Amino acid sequence: MNRDLIVNLVIFALLVAVALGAHVAGQGFTVTLATKAAILGLAGVGLNLALGYGGLVSFGHAAFFGIGGYVTGIFASHAANGDPILTLPFTLMGSNEMLGIWPMAMLAAALAALLIGALSLRTSGVYFIMVTLAFAQMIYYFAISWPRYGGEDGLSFYVRNSFPGLNTFDPIQYFAICAGLLALALLFTAVVTQSRFGLALQATRQNEQRSTAVGIRATPVRLTAFVLSAMITALAGALYADLNRFVSPSMFSWHMSGEIMVFVILGGVGRLCGPVAGAAVFILLEHLLGPVSDHWQALLGLMLLAIVLFAPGGLIGLTLKALRRTEHG
Amino acid sequence: MADPILSIRGLKKSFGALTATDDVSLDLFPGEIHALIGPNGAGKSTLIKQIVGEIRPNEGTIRFEGQVIDRLDAAARARLGLARSFQVSSVIPDFTVLQNVMLAVAGADGHVFRFHRPALSDRTLTEPARFHIAHAGLSGREGTRASVLSHGERRKLEIAMALALRPRAFLLDEPMAGMGLEGAKQLTAILSDLRSEAPILLVEHDMDAVFALADRISVLVYGRIIATGSVAEIRANPEVRRSYLGEEA
Repeated sequence: MNRDLIVNLVIFALLVAVALGAHVAGQGFTVTLATKAAILGLAGVGLNLALGYGGLVSFGHAAFFGIGGYVTGIFASHAANGDPILTLPFTLMGSNEMLGIWPMAMLAAALAALLIGALSLRTSGVYFIMVTLAFAQMIYYFAISWPRYGGEDGLSFYVRNSFPGLNTFDPIQYFAICAGLLALALLFTAVVTQSRFGLALQATRQNEQRSTAVGIRATPVRLTAFVLSAMITALAGALYADLNRFVSPSMFSWHMSGEIMVFVILGGVGRLCGPVAGAAVFILLEHLLGPVSDHWQALLGLMLLAIVLFAPGGLIGLTLKALRRTEHG
Repeated sequence: MADPILSIRGLKKSFGALTATDDVSLDLFPGEIHALIGPNGAGKSTLIKQIVGEIRPNEGTIRFEGQVIDRLDAAARARLGLARSFQVSSVIPDFTVLQNVMLAVAGADGHVFRFHRPALSDRTLTEPARFHIAHAGLSGREGTRASVLSHGERRKLEIAMALALRPRAFLLDEPMAGMGLEGAKQLTAILSDLRSEAPILLVEHDMDAVFALADRISVLVYGRIIATGSVAEIRANPEVRRSYLGEEA
């Protein structure tokens, strides 16, 4: 089809190629890095739906990432010790099945997003940013002061949850699960943004007054996008918990919200695979430069500055521009 | 005379000590172009905003096709067929002409929460959109991004979007603003044609256009309608001449 599609496919194929290559070469650690890129990319794909397509600058997506993680951690730890999670109003037992945990993680995030979105969408601009941040920080402090699930120390679980027919401990098989979900989320985003709903969402971002004048209310459209966005990011949180077999309040912290936003901006706001490219570059830098200097994030900061100032389309936008130039030149 | 499509009674709106709309009543009848004129600051835009539902009046009632619409928000009023154009052209800049009009079609039929079918291959959107684009005189520009359209083309796009709402009444806020002489002439012809679709409440500064198009004229001064009548009546009205047309009576 078009250049956009090709660039998106190449980015995804590169990620898979790195993981497969590392697997063949017997470098399990690199496979895990690629898995981390897929998971954080997925978190960014979630945020991109709200931020990129809907113009909703949420500085609180760590809330949903953390909710996904904690739901996973709580189910897994209860499965280990056999105590029910809830006895009232109904009995809810722990579980080790990813296929059972993911819907719970996404449902919990959807409910939280419905509440947070309904309140924060009454504001806009910088107030929206602050309200979403405030909600995420509230949950962060709640997690810290909740000794039942580890409080400040976080919650470890010793067995990675299971997926039918696969050995989730094998790095390449766990990568396959994460990459598969990433592909699904990308497909979902591609379809939704081109649907009637996507048309309306992007219209409300660009010109709310005009959208209203053709009979489209912005708030329900935005709230829907916000909830879908949160669900995708929560799924990433669940995968991240299983990757580390550990969750901690830092998943809820504003640093996390900032990182997810960095993936989106670095890769390209409103570009389908932008967050994947952004997360991959982030992890690459962290891996290559982290051991050299603790201040590697200064370089990241410079990159981000350069992108925001000179290439608002992000890495994907730059690539597309370069391709166009070679085609015409 | 037939029942009015749009009927405004006793509308009042003040901002603090400033009375922007002072007991305004006016009707828009089927098939007519009713021009609303008045000096800058007379409250024309404030009146339009109250009709479309962007701001709430302090007092008064607005009926649209017999139904009281005071409690409806702007989106709901648009879906009833109250089609509006803006003083400064307002379109979705990164959308193509086709996507802009498709958006209006989708807004009008009320089915925005559909998530899987690609909008561009949805013929219930594209076919009406193409029809309205042709009607507004923009054929051949469907794939052009709205942000690169000329001023006149953007006006036509707004008209295509208004048509897509299956309008029962048009509210056009200074459509001639910023148009060249030739463009204004063209647009006058289009508006005259538009009257057969639905009646038009036309806010306009361009007196040539107003006198050429309007069946009736209302003159708004300091938030109050000082006269309503035919073109000839308004031209002859001494109070209008004094307060607006700028002549000594």
